[in-house]
Amino acid sequence: MLINQDLAAFMASPVMIILGTRDDALVPEIARAVGAVVRREEGCVDLAVSEWQWSKTVANVRANGQLAVTFARPSDYVSYQVKGHATVASAAAEHVALARRYIESMASTLGELGLERRVVAPWLVERDLVTLCLSVQEIFVQTPGAKAGQLIEQFP
Amino acid sequence: MTIRLRDLAACFEGVIPSIIATAAPDGMPNISYLSHVVLVDDERVALSNQFFSKTATNVRANPAAAVLLVDPRDGGQYRLDVIFEQTLDSGGLFEEMAIQLRATSTQVGIGEVMRLRGVDIYRVRGVQAVPSPTPRQEVSSREAGLQLMAAAAVARRVSEASDVGTIVDAVLDGLREAFSFKHAMLLLKESAGERLVTVGSRGYERSGIGSEVLVGEGIIGTAASERRPVRVSDMSRIRRFSSAVHASSDEENRTRTIALPGMPDAMSQVALPMIAHGVLRGVLFLESSQRLAFTREDEAALAVVALQAAAALALAEAEILEGPSSVPVVADQSVLTGRGFRVVHYAYDDSIFIDNEYLIKGVPGRLLMYLLRIHQREGRTEFTNREIRLSEDLRLPDIKDNLETRLLLLRRRLEEKAAPVQLLRTSRGRIRLEVAGRAVLEEATS
Repeated sequence: MLINQDLAAFMASPVMIILGTRDDALVPEIARAVGAVVRREEGCVDLAVSEWQWSKTVANVRANGQLAVTFARPSDYVSYQVKGHATVASAAAEHVALARRYIESMASTLGELGLERRVVAPWLVERDLVTLCLSVQEIFVQTPGAKAGQLIEQFP
Repeated sequence: MTIRLRDLAACFEGVIPSIIATAAPDGMPNISYLSHVVLVDDERVALSNQFFSKTATNVRANPAAAVLLVDPRDGGQYRLDVIFEQTLDSGGLFEEMAIQLRATSTQVGIGEVMRLRGVDIYRVRGVQAVPSPTPRQEVSSREAGLQLMAAAAVARRVSEASDVGTIVDAVLDGLREAFSFKHAMLLLKESAGERLVTVGSRGYERSGIGSEVLVGEGIIGTAASERRPVRVSDMSRIRRFSSAVHASSDEENRTRTIALPGMPDAMSQVALPMIAHGVLRGVLFLESSQRLAFTREDEAALAVVALQAAAALALAEAEILEGPSSVPVVADQSVLTGRGFRVVHYAYDDSIFIDNEYLIKGVPGRLLMYLLRIHQREGRTEFTNREIRLSEDLRLPDIKDNLETRLLLLRRRLEEKAAPVQLLRTSRGRIRLEVAGRAVLEEATS
């Protein structure tokens, strides 16, 4: 299923990426990703994640695949959440390079908002990267306001 | 090492957004940013619920959730393992969070969106630090109990002061010396109740004495209308409530309004209501260019200072009503040492201009004209508060509440403008007019 071009561009821009998963007992877990590649035609998003920092999240995806991802622009809180099923792959060279670029641009974006590099460093970690390949099933508006939580696209 | 919630106080300041993850009964997770997480006690946190409706739905079916908190000083991340307990839509905690949300969201012009629907209480089962490649910084936190000692030191100073002016000074000097808070102002409510007027400040280029804030407007006005402290730890996204930072006396002369002082680069602000006998008397306001300059403990200590100052001020005003009754002896004053000066009074708003410089308006303006007229007529320079209060000429039924405050405002404003007429407080309930040169009094018609 095709992902809207504007949305794809938004997801690949310097936005904060947060991940939600759960274990077998339905206990949720939180993590951050350091970069996204959108494969529009396939309806897929690849996410670079540090397994060293977020081991429980990667284990949850390996176990059940259910994954929710919110992309939020720090300057104005414009946000979208995508949900679907994901698999874990080892990070290809392109994903390692992607994470590098993302960390650079994110640190400078947050720097413009007055956050020092030493403060944002713990959120932008590239140690032991893996790739989560998310097959998107639902897309929601998440920007704070009346439309928050509204479903904008659903793929069978 | 076990991490206690209270060790994470900085994470609850709302500087870096927190995150919550939940899961629906079918297992699908949900991940969302949170605007406010509040520390309730060592075992519970409260989350504001404005619009993250999927989160609210999920925890009602599956109460297990994860919350990620971030320390704004070093970026350190902490994962809380939480269980949803209940939703509150009233009570002290709800009110406190609603006010905080309103005060900060009216600043950014999204008051409507940020209406608080409920406060969700979660029990915290565990706290873990998220691995970080950068070493955690040893951030020096102020020693607990220090604020209490500082508040006691200010209270001592205030207790020694006996009139409105010295009480205001005792509070502001005390904040600077005992707390090391360098930018502060004290505003008192007008008896009409719609406005707060600055009667003293420290740390600003201009004192701003006589400047006004509407009750309900901005952080200061919200603390007044809600009668609760309002604190902001990161102003970087909040528009300044006063754009009048570059005020000049030309501007004052044109608008007959004195601009509120303020720091152009303020990052933290706190406003404390001053209440005595159940009546709001004013607001104590502090600001800093540092993020997180005022902790929750600071806020509590400052709230005590503000309330004690309110009680002292109420007492000082009440005592004045029983001040000396004897009208001072008519002194033969020949104070024609300086050059003459012109005092123009505009009756419609009681504004006063001395040699074309705006001084003040309203009741303090009327008071000055009254004193100068008697001075011209009788040559008298000594006055009692009692005779002013009883004066038929002033026709001020409401003035008895805060005559001292208005006289203080007039006195400080005359001082600040280095006017050729000055007001001195000689003893309790008595004032003296010092006039350098002959005053030419004029009534302006327009």
